[in-house]
Order: sequence, then C-alpha cells, then structure tokens
Amino acid sequence: TPSFTSRVDRPFLKPNPRLHPSLRNLLSSPSIATAGGTLILFCCSCNPRPKMASLFKDPAKLSVYRDKRFRGNQEEYERALQASTTVYIGNMSFYTTEEQVYELFTRAGEIKKIIMGLEKNTKTPCGFCFVLYYSREDTEDAVKYISGTMLDDRPIRVDFDWGFEEGRQWGRGRSGGQVRDEYRTDYDPGRGGYGKLVQRELEAQRELVDYGAGALGAFQPPTQYGKHGVYGDSHRHGRDYRKRYREDEQSASEMSRRTSGYESRRNSEHDLRPNPRFRESGDSDDEDEDDRKRRR
Amino acid sequence: MSSWQTLLLRVGDKCPEYGGAVDYKEHIETCYGVLWREFEHSKDEISELLLQCAEQLPHKIPFYGVLVGMINLEDEDFGKNIVDDLHCKLQEALSSENCDKIRTLMRFLTVLMCSKVILPSSVIEVFETLLSSAATIIDEDAGNPSWQPCADFYITCILSCLPWGGTELIEQVPDEFDRVIVGIQSYLSIRKHSQDTSFIVFEADEDKSAKEKDFVEDLWDHIQILSTNGWKVDSVPRPHLSFEEQLVSGKSYNLSPISCPKQSTSSSRSTISRERENYEAKLKYPQRLRRLHIFPSNKIEKMQPIDRFIVEEYLLDVLLYFNGCRKECASYMASLPVPFRYEYLMAETIFSQIMFLPQPPFKPIYYALVIIDLCKALPGAFPAVVAGAVRSLFNRIGDLDMECRTRLILWFSHHLSNFQYFWPWEEWAHVKDLPIWAPQRVFVQEVLEREVRLSYWDKIKQSIENAPELEELLPPKSVSSFKYNSEEDHGYTLSKEFREMVRGRKTAREITSWVEENIIQIHGSKFAIEVVIQTLLDIGSKSFTHLITVLERYGQVIAKLCTDQNMQVLLIDEVSSYWKNNTQMTAIAIDRMMGYRIISNLAIVSWVFSLSNIEQFHVSDRPWEILRNAINKTYNRIADLRKEIQTLKKSVLLAEDVAVKALKEFEAAETRLEVVDGQPVQAEKPGRLKRLKGYAEKAKDDEIAVREALEAKDALLARALEENKSLFVSLYKSFANVLTERLPPVSADGAFPKLRDEEDIDSMAIDLEESSTMEMDHDNRRKDDRNGEKVTHRYSLKEQDQWCLCTLGYVKAFSRQYATEVWPHLETLEAEVFGGDIHPLFRKAVFSGLCRSTTEM
Repeated sequence: TPSFTSRVDRPFLKPNPRLHPSLRNLLSSPSIATAGGTLILFCCSCNPRPKMASLFKDPAKLSVYRDKRFRGNQEEYERALQASTTVYIGNMSFYTTEEQVYELFTRAGEIKKIIMGLEKNTKTPCGFCFVLYYSREDTEDAVKYISGTMLDDRPIRVDFDWGFEEGRQWGRGRSGGQVRDEYRTDYDPGRGGYGKLVQRELEAQRELVDYGAGALGAFQPPTQYGKHGVYGDSHRHGRDYRKRYREDEQSASEMSRRTSGYESRRNSEHDLRPNPRFRESGDSDDEDEDDRKRRR
Repeated sequence: MSSWQTLLLRVGDKCPEYGGAVDYKEHIETCYGVLWREFEHSKDEISELLLQCAEQLPHKIPFYGVLVGMINLEDEDFGKNIVDDLHCKLQEALSSENCDKIRTLMRFLTVLMCSKVILPSSVIEVFETLLSSAATIIDEDAGNPSWQPCADFYITCILSCLPWGGTELIEQVPDEFDRVIVGIQSYLSIRKHSQDTSFIVFEADEDKSAKEKDFVEDLWDHIQILSTNGWKVDSVPRPHLSFEEQLVSGKSYNLSPISCPKQSTSSSRSTISRERENYEAKLKYPQRLRRLHIFPSNKIEKMQPIDRFIVEEYLLDVLLYFNGCRKECASYMASLPVPFRYEYLMAETIFSQIMFLPQPPFKPIYYALVIIDLCKALPGAFPAVVAGAVRSLFNRIGDLDMECRTRLILWFSHHLSNFQYFWPWEEWAHVKDLPIWAPQRVFVQEVLEREVRLSYWDKIKQSIENAPELEELLPPKSVSSFKYNSEEDHGYTLSKEFREMVRGRKTAREITSWVEENIIQIHGSKFAIEVVIQTLLDIGSKSFTHLITVLERYGQVIAKLCTDQNMQVLLIDEVSSYWKNNTQMTAIAIDRMMGYRIISNLAIVSWVFSLSNIEQFHVSDRPWEILRNAINKTYNRIADLRKEIQTLKKSVLLAEDVAVKALKEFEAAETRLEVVDGQPVQAEKPGRLKRLKGYAEKAKDDEIAVREALEAKDALLARALEENKSLFVSLYKSFANVLTERLPPVSADGAFPKLRDEEDIDSMAIDLEESSTMEMDHDNRRKDDRNGEKVTHRYSLKEQDQWCLCTLGYVKAFSRQYATEVWPHLETLEAEVFGGDIHPLFRKAVFSGLCRSTTEM
C-alpha cells in the first residue's frame, strides 16, 4: 500500500529511468527515507533551542504509563518512546471528530495521520486516538503544549506513544470501549453516560422493577470504586487526568464494589444526549473497516 | 526536612520548603546551613547544581552568588573551581555563539564579583574584551559591519550586567569602569541606528522607527538614568548586602582571559551578499525583545524604565528555561521577586512573543498554553488583562502585520476554546455593519471560523447568543456540496457507476481505463475531472481518514487525469467547489493531494491567483491558508532533506573510519610473518585472515552504500531547491501581476501613493487612550460618512486600497517568513521579477520582508 513515510516521498511517482542510478535506487527503497524534519523556520541558523529545564523535569522520563501490549522490556519501551513520532490522546469525548483533532494538533506541526480509537462492536469513536507526526520535534511539542488543555470542553491527555500498530485502534474493554469506561462510576455525557458496568447494573434494575420514572431512584451508582476513587466530573477537573486509566492496566479483580455514598441523579441523564455530530454505527460501512486493516 | 537540592532550587521562592517565609536573608542562611552540612560528601554535586541553577534560574542569580561566596569563606578551592568552571562555560558559549548562555553567565560573573569570589578587575577585563570585539566588528577596515547585530549584542550584555553590579564596580574600580563607559559611548556614536521595518508588528510604526531610539540606544538611556539615580533598582534583589561583613574576607579570584570569535572580515562583495550576511547575523544575534505597546501608558504599571527592562528579561528567561514545565513556568511567571505588580507588562511581553517576527522563539501554541495557565494561576487579575490586550489589538487590527493577524486569530480561537468559548461578543456586534472587507469584521469572522473548527457549528452559534447579529459572520454549516444528487443532474449515472466500482474494489488501473472509455472519450477530460473528483471526495467525505484512504487507493486515477498544471488547476477548482462550505476540508484535501504529488505547488499558486480567489484576498483567509500550506509543505520537504543529509554526512564519516580500521587490521594480519624452519611464513591462521578480509570488504561496501545514499539525497535536495526557485519566481510574478493591475499609479513627482489614511492612524491612536464610548463615537462617525455623498465611489476606492494593503501585507509576510530560502535566488528574482517597471510599493514590501534596505531605490 502506498503511504508516505516522509514528506519527501513520492508515492505515485515511478523513478525516472534517466535519473542518476543511485537516486533511482533511493526512490525505490523506502527504507532509507526516514521521517524527520521540522516546521521551525530558520532552525539551521539560529541558536539551538535549549532542552526543557532539567532542573524540574527529567526529560528522559517520558510517560508514566506502560502499555502492556508492547512486546519488549522497559528499556526498549523507553527507547521507542524517545524516538516516537506518535502521540496518544486520551479522555476525549466520543463526539470529537478527526477534523477537530486535526485543527488543534496541526498547531504543533504537520500531521501525517490520525487514527481514531473505535468501539470494537459498534465501530464508533470511543474516546481516544493516535496522531502521527512527521517530525519528532513536533511530536514533543504536541505533548508539551496540548496535554491537559481542552478539546471539545474536556481536558485531554497527550502522551508519547510507542507507535501505532494494526489492532490498537480498538478499545480493549470487555464491552468494546476503553477499559476506563467499563468501570467508571461517574456520569460523563461526553463518553456515553455511566461506565458500562454501571449501565448494565441499571439495565438489570430496570428489567426487574419497572414502575415508571420513580423506580430508578432505587439504584444509585456508587461514587467510589476501590482505591481509585471517583474519576468523576472529569470533564470539569483537569487534575485527575494523570491517573492512568488507559486500556487494561486495571484488572477486574481490583474492583471492590462499594455501595455507600450514593448520590442522586436525574433519570433523564441515563440516556445518551442526542448529538448531531455523533457518527452512528451504520455510518461506518464495512469498507472502512477493511481500509483500516489494509493501511498497515 | 527537605533535601539540599530542593532547598537550593527553591531559595528565594515563597514556598513550603522555607515555611512560606520570604525573608531572603533567612533563606540564604537556612540553605547555606544545609549545604555546608552536606559539603564533605557532596562537594562536586553542590558545585554542579549551583552552576545549573544559575544558568537556568537567572532571576535568582543573586542568591546563588551569595551562596557561592559563603561556601568560599570556608573552602577557598570551591570558589576557585566555580570561577574556573564559569570561565570554561563562558568561553564555550561565546565560541558557539549561544546568546542566552552568554547573557546569563555574564550576570553570574557580575554577581560573583559582588560576593567577593571574582575580582572586579576580571569583570572589567571581560567587558573590555567584548567592547573591543564589538568595536572591531563595526570597523569598515578591520571588521565587518554586516555583523553589527553581534556587536550590539555584546554591548547589550555589558549594559545588562550593570543593574547587578554597577554600584560595586564604581566603588571598587572607578577609573576602569569609566573607561568602559567611555568605550560604550564611542561605540554608540559609530554604530548605525538599526531599523528593522521587516520585524515591526504595527505597520503605522514603520515611519516612526527611523526617528525612535533602537533597542541598544534605549537601554543605554536607561542605564544612564540609573547611574544618576545611584544605581537603585527595585527589581534586582541584593542579598549580598546582608552578608557583606562576612563576605568581605573571602578570597577573590581572577578569571582567565576570554576571547570572542572572529567574524569574517568584509571583502569587496556585492551589495546583495553583504545584505544577506547582515540578515544572517540578525537571525544569529536576534534582538531579544521587540516591545509591543498594547496598553495605554496610564494603564500599564508604573515603574522605572530599567525595571521594565529587567522584568521583561526575567519573564523571557522563565519562558525560555521552563518551556515544557507547565507548573513551574506559570508559578515563576506569576511570582517574580519584585516589589511591584506587573500583570500588564507580563501580558505585553507574552503577546510580544506571540507576534515576534520573523518567528517567535517557540511555537505560538506554547504562549497560548502559558496564557491559559496564567489565567488559572491569577484568576482575579490576569483574565481581565488578557481581555484588555485583545480589545486593544482588535482596535488596531487594521494596522497589524498580516502574519501577526493570523497568529492572533489562531491564538484567540484556541484560548476561547479553553474557556468554554465565552467572550463578550456584544461589544463587537457592530462589525456586522462594516463593509465585508473591514479588517475588524474579517478578524471576527476568522476567529469564528477557527472556533467552529475546534468545536462545532451549533456550539459556536450558541456562544454568540448575546450578539445574534454576528451569526451572519459564522461560516456556513459545513456540509459538502455534491453535484449529482438527482437523476436529472448531468453526470449522475456516471458517478453512480463509478461509486459502484469503488465499492466493488476495482483497482485504480481498471478505473482509469473505465474513465478513459466512458467519460474522457465521450465528454472530454474536463468533465472527467468533475465526475472523478466529485465522486471520490464524496466517498471520502466522512472524515480526514476516509479522505486519505480514498486518495491512497485512487490517487493514481486522479494523477493520470491531471498531468499538466492547467488540469491540476481545474482539479483544485473542483475540490474547492465540493467543499465550498467547509474551508478546513478544502485546505486539507488540497494539502493531501500535494502530499501525494497529485498536484504541484505551482498549480496551487496558479489557482490561488485565479480571479475568484483574488477577489477574496481582503475578505477571507481561505485562499491564504491554502497558499501558506503549499509553501510550508515545500519548505518542510527541504528542511527534512537537509536534516537527512546532515545525518548521512555523519554516517559517511563513521563508515569511512570503520572501513579504514578494518582494512588496516586485515593488512597488519596479512603481513605478519613468522619464521618456520628458517622460512618466513604467514603467522595468522588462514581462517582468521579470511574473516578479516571479509570484514574489510563489507566495511568498504557499507561505506560505498552510505556515500551513494548521500549522493542521492544531495541530488534530491538540488532538485528540490530548483523547484523551490520556480515556486518563488511564480509566486512573486503572480503577486506582481495582480498588484500592478490594482495599485494606484505613482504620481508624476515620484512620490509613493498613500494607501493608508493618515487620519485613520491618528484616530486609532486616540482609540487607545480613550474609553470604549469614544470607540463607539468613532464607529458612528464612519457610518455617517457612508450616508454622505459620493458614497459608492469612495467606498469602492477604499475597498481597492484595503485589497492592496492586505495583499502587500502578505507579500511582506511571505518574504519575511521564507527569507532564508528567497535570499539565494535573489539575483534571479531581481532579473525576472523585481527589475524594470515594477511598482515601488510592491518592491518595498518584498524588500522590507527580506530586511533589505530600501534606501537605494
């Protein structure tokens, strides 16, 4: 499949036979063309930019999160992060579109690709994505300047990622979305309401006793689940985004459900807020799925 | 108890480590106590961290200086080592032309003199070295006046040290100090007044810059005032005074002499190459700050001019050294150790960086983050100041450089997106009544456009509830405009069939031949472009990724169809028509097509300068965004290639080395003989010899491979540069054509036509000083004007002027942004574009963008 590994690549151009032979070789072997480069103008003639202040931050420590799917040891993982031109974006709203991501992240540099995280079953966005840049410097700037700021009224988390691979676009939670959306107990309208576990619980309650509107008051979602506390109101507080609820770092056994500290919620909130921007599952025809596989 | 490291880092800060106290004397005593306790074990670590702190927390240098002085009292070697390290670092910084390091180390040097670690005569010696180097540079015969920016930098460095140690120097070495001052004075009398019209943010200031003092002259004035005030500065803490009695008995050291790098001397070369050299010097030794006067003088905090300069330096240093450390950056910005408030000054400084020309030290999005964080850190004070800055900039928007306007739009939309899109839009509702090309109206419209991109249409519509008039300025609700929706549409059936083929996974080749047979041969190529582009874009319309997927799979179909530039222009037209209601998708689609080399940058330039786009130049950012992207992408490709070539060059050296070593090892083994039975035979076993030979051969092959790769990249770069040259020739020719048609003619006496109304500039100045009711009056007056006679005529004229101003502004902005790429082609451009009867205003815009002096015109 043609894909441009570097801004210099020319995917649709067959090497001209009259070109210098070494040039011809180069054009046909993509391995030599390495991604890299920078958007910063006049970089060649200016003083080198200082690295981030080493006094307060260890520049070698790139991410607290360790993806368990990475095949390799910690050292290799760190090396992958050091060289990576991919960022992972978390705590996104399900409604946020690729174009919104593009508009924000292009301010850190030219974007090569965006891969939206999708719910395994419905193939709809489930609140995370990968952005691939051409240059390392732009990647670093995206992490430095965008992490913790708002996208679609939510504080998003931007982290170095070890690199996109086919399969990583799917949510890893049992229900198809992200793991954090399995167990979360807050009501987050940007991420499909309550967490999946709570939703199932509510569903079960509804089937048991259906006396109309008042009945749901009988079950209230717990506000605390184990030691992790409430991830609640994440769309209002930026502070908690550092907590790594990413993918399956948290095993179900850790879940000690407590049923104390209920708080009341309005019934209507149990349902998804209709949103004109939400891409329905029907929208994503089988063609797309195939394309995603093919893109490797 | 906190560790000595934390105490050292936090000294002078209001922080829990020091129990929230702000008594500097106490801080130093506590810190010193702990350091001394650890001294035996961690001498080297302490010395290293101290130096690091001085370099990266320059606003706290006085504290670090006293700490060195205190330790020096107990352990003389410590002071000596610090002085030697400082010498090394300073020499290193001078040789590598690292301005930030030179500046901070000079300050540390001065402060160490105050703490009796360095002899005052050594400080004078450093000053004199810099001074004599500066004097040599600007000497026609001995030096090279093109490098005046470097000389100016050296002088700025000396002057900047004086608030930290002027008093001490005058006390201890008065004669020598006087000599330095006299030297600076004579330097200032020889150097040329610098006027960089290229980097001026407000165009109305262009004429002023010739008369006003430049940065160095300004600083010199402040220092002179300071010397008459007995060197009293509020913004510089002087903790060594509290410890004077102890420090005075310390042993002071000499700093070994330093030397400044020699700049190449000027030989008799062309004006162009000298000006180019001067331009490069300006980039290497940039003026650190170009003050942006946003607030009226009655609003900004009252302080001595030198205090203003120092606080600006503090802020810029925090921005520089804490890039990437959000929390510390905001907290240091908000709590500088000065006894006065400085929020307005802080806002002006940050905005001056966002608008810094040609390029800010960091990407503008960094400053957006800093402003967001400061709004959160100082919720009671800072948001209002930011809003005031926005209002003031909005009032002068028509006077703002075009590049800065774009940066302001991007920043403001991003900022609002972080604060729930709240803004008192009703204040600006009146822009709806301005003509569609009025800069304020265009500004509001473009901010709304960017907000919609960051969010979604309904949300932004809701955010302007208080000013429903502005709904008119919202972009259209973004839907695609597919041409074939009903069977009556010509092309409907073909498009449907095409879509079926895509769905049926036909290959690009199959589709190409289908297009050839069923569309081109019957309806012609032009119609084929329409059907193919409309259909493919529609299939890829769902998202950015859908678009990429379609282009990756069927890009070749388009490429085959649009082999020449004219066809590519038609193609871009079709893209623009399909996405006419969505500027972002238009720009993305064109950008990606250029990425896949389906369309060339020349085709994009040609399309941007087509009539329908030219008419939009002054009313929308749409054509400019597409043009910016195209040039930027071209530039990025070249920058990537340069980087790869640099890496490959290193690899070649490495491979060469390996090959030589391997060969040597083989040859050594081959020639090693031993005597067996009186006969010389080879000492090495044949197996090892064979292996070594293999290594040597492989190393040679590797070397050749890397060399070939380098050659290939060099060839690619050469071609890319050639392409770049044609791009700039085409760009400037297009600009010249459209401007020549529209610019008012030069009058008979040769005076340049005035596009900008002088009155306008004056009334803008009034706006700044007066309250907002005054602004309303101003606007009403304009409205009244329109009801007068000859209205149509006057406005059509005005529109044309506005168009010219805007287009000239972009000429300047593009020239400035890509100046390093344009300079090498200047001779070609002179011959092909700028020569002959070119309009002087066009020429002026180009020249000022490139930092060429326009005097010789």
